[in-house]
Amino acid sequence: MKKLFLSLFAISLVTVFAMAGPVLAASALVVAQDTPPRMMNPHGDDSDAGLQYMANFFDGLLQRKGSGGTLEPALAVRWEHPDLLTWKFYLRKGVKFHNGNSFTAADVKFTFERLGDPEVSEFINTGKSIDSIDIIDDYTVAIKTKTPIPWFANNMHQIFIMDKESTESRDSGDVMVKPIGTGAYKLTEWVKGSYIRMEANEDYWEGAPPIKKVEIRPIRESSTRFAALVSGQVDIVTGVPVELYDKILKNPKLHVVSRPARRSIFLALGNKPGTPMADIRVRKAMYMAINENEIIEKIMRGHAAPAAQVPDPPTIGYNAGIKRLPYDPQAAKKLLKQAGYANGFDITLTGPNDRYVQDAKIAEAVARYLAKVGINAKLDVKPKSIFFPEVTSGKLEFYLIGWFDGTFDMGRTYFKLAHSRDEKIGFGKFNGTAYNNAALDKLLESTADMVDVQQRKKTLQQLNKMAMVDQIVWIPLHYQEDLYATQKGRGIQFQPRPDRWMVYKEIGFK
Amino acid sequence: MVTYIARRLMQAVVVLLAVSTICFVIFRYMGDPVITMAGRYATLQEIEEVRRAFGLDQPMYVQYGRFIWNVLHGNFGKSYVTRVPALGLILERFPATFELASVAVVMAFCLGVGLGVLVSLKPYAFRNRLIMAGSLGGISIPTFLMGILLIMVFSVYLGILPPFGRGETVRVGFWRTGLLTIDGLKHLILPAATLAMYQLAVLLRLTRAGMREVMTEEYIKTAWAKGLSPRKVIFKHALRNVLIPVITITGLQFGELIAFAIITETIFQWPGMGNLLLSSFYENDQPVIVTYIMMAALIIITLNMIVDILYALINPKIRYG
Repeated sequence: MKKLFLSLFAISLVTVFAMAGPVLAASALVVAQDTPPRMMNPHGDDSDAGLQYMANFFDGLLQRKGSGGTLEPALAVRWEHPDLLTWKFYLRKGVKFHNGNSFTAADVKFTFERLGDPEVSEFINTGKSIDSIDIIDDYTVAIKTKTPIPWFANNMHQIFIMDKESTESRDSGDVMVKPIGTGAYKLTEWVKGSYIRMEANEDYWEGAPPIKKVEIRPIRESSTRFAALVSGQVDIVTGVPVELYDKILKNPKLHVVSRPARRSIFLALGNKPGTPMADIRVRKAMYMAINENEIIEKIMRGHAAPAAQVPDPPTIGYNAGIKRLPYDPQAAKKLLKQAGYANGFDITLTGPNDRYVQDAKIAEAVARYLAKVGINAKLDVKPKSIFFPEVTSGKLEFYLIGWFDGTFDMGRTYFKLAHSRDEKIGFGKFNGTAYNNAALDKLLESTADMVDVQQRKKTLQQLNKMAMVDQIVWIPLHYQEDLYATQKGRGIQFQPRPDRWMVYKEIGFK
Repeated sequence: MVTYIARRLMQAVVVLLAVSTICFVIFRYMGDPVITMAGRYATLQEIEEVRRAFGLDQPMYVQYGRFIWNVLHGNFGKSYVTRVPALGLILERFPATFELASVAVVMAFCLGVGLGVLVSLKPYAFRNRLIMAGSLGGISIPTFLMGILLIMVFSVYLGILPPFGRGETVRVGFWRTGLLTIDGLKHLILPAATLAMYQLAVLLRLTRAGMREVMTEEYIKTAWAKGLSPRKVIFKHALRNVLIPVITITGLQFGELIAFAIITETIFQWPGMGNLLLSSFYENDQPVIVTYIMMAALIIITLNMIVDILYALINPKIRYG
């Protein structure tokens, strides 16, 4: 017993004396991320949290660059859209995968065929929308879609090209954990739950990235992420919670980087005949009853911008002419009276409690504002894994949700959110209240094969106004803000991206 | 003894069947995993296609039957989220949890028993009353609070211990260990202390109570009367008898520490099984959840059985028929 005590004491002494020593190596960047990667298979996770890891190991045919998010060539040097259904990509020559294989048209064909396989892909929709892939020569591919998809190219930064030879020859489990791409970084080690280490691909076609080594430490718990930053263990932290913002701001060693997020948070209304909300005056009253400025100030602590519509400014279809309805509970009460609901009504407000910044608290506040004008909103917040299936089943009354579209095109979003539910063709999947408006459907369908950008913009803006102003399909709340924190003394040059991806080739040291 | 073990094994099978059934019943209320598996932009038709591809369109009892059949063949199914075998995912995380739990148990046992003996000798001394008050704190402060407090003090203010992760690890065969590097040991201190705190307090109180009872026994008085040194009386004659229930409790708690170190692992971002379980709950990864719960049940049952057998070996008064 005594010996055990002694040895334990010795161990603890040794440990205490060994504390001194640099934690960070100068050439490596250490990043604490809020979400770990699920796998190293670039098609198996279509969430931005997962895709951002893949963007470092793989390249798409196209890429979105920097803080502007503009669409630029990557593995394809240019592309053409000769007719409504065909997309022709001219591929970059001389690009090599991490294993030394050359990148050719066969890899592109293999990748797009793989998308339709539910065993390995969450991009089933993209995979199934493709009719044929023709290899014209080693560096030219023509992809034909089954129906016109105006935003097809806009999505090409999310579809990462895999090496045909090594993906087919390796065991399927190995493909899930070892990425072989053309990307700016090669994976050196992935210890699940601990870290992901990567090193620069010196032969990268865009030139070797400035930072040679990157270590990512996924830490879900926000207070632990904060502690890691304050104790100097990491250089950059993503997903800073609004509650800790002021603390980081006060710390002289830390620097906060914020940028408006693309995601908007809004409340979805229904118009089922026979329900109070079928009357547009009721929908308008609910809109005017909510004090959004107070939500931003008190719940979001200032880290959000009021939204008047679902899409964000860079999206095709954003209409700068749309303004928020004023907060006016008296007018709301009057509208309710006119609609015959002077005594209010009962309604259930559903929402996630683990998806968006302060989601459950926002829902609570909304219920309180509605109570002030006599509407009795019963709160029903739940984990996202239960909430989203309820939205897709289309049986909700009134719910809180957030959205942004990776294609920067409102068309795809509106087909999911606003079109009346049609299980056969898959419209209205996230139209959780089964909102139904024939005029809106018709206008939306007219954009399905509209490829001309100017015409598309005009029509989508018109559509947007119809949904947000004329019909009040949703009550827009705010755009979130993405918060990051960095170590001041490290000279990190970091510009957040609109899609929240961490792409390390875009980061440098001064 | 053989019939005893056989009976316990049969009970174990029943328990495993029961926990897996409960899991499947709960899964019906956990939301539809297919929605995320098909991707954000999948049409409802494509969702149904994915559902069929994974056999999730069949009735629950068919799915359950297929699961049990596969388990009997050593196949626990593939994770919906990472698309690799669930059992492999869990076993990969086992070393981290096992090391954390082991260190915590050793810490709790040494300090708990040591302090327990110390306190029992002079129960009314001020210092010992302070220790007892502290142990009350150890029992009543929730783990997450303890963890965050330790991080605040040792990582944020003093800056001497790392707040998260496992640090530098070394691979010994399939086992990835953090016990062989200084960095790994440094990372182990805070989470192990957090995890040990409750057990330490329990063992301390147990030891103290036992010691106080034994010290009044006739044979201890005899030992003192014989003129034996205090060390011999306390450690050889008294503590030995007190240790039997203490070891039993330690063994039982060890199983629970391995299976349910979830909170500590989450706070310290410890890459163990508990951490995996929690993220599997977030992502509704049902194959991993059910496999984990069956594994946890198996570990606890096994450890309980070992403790029972050891108990019979230590204490000849106990016989299992």
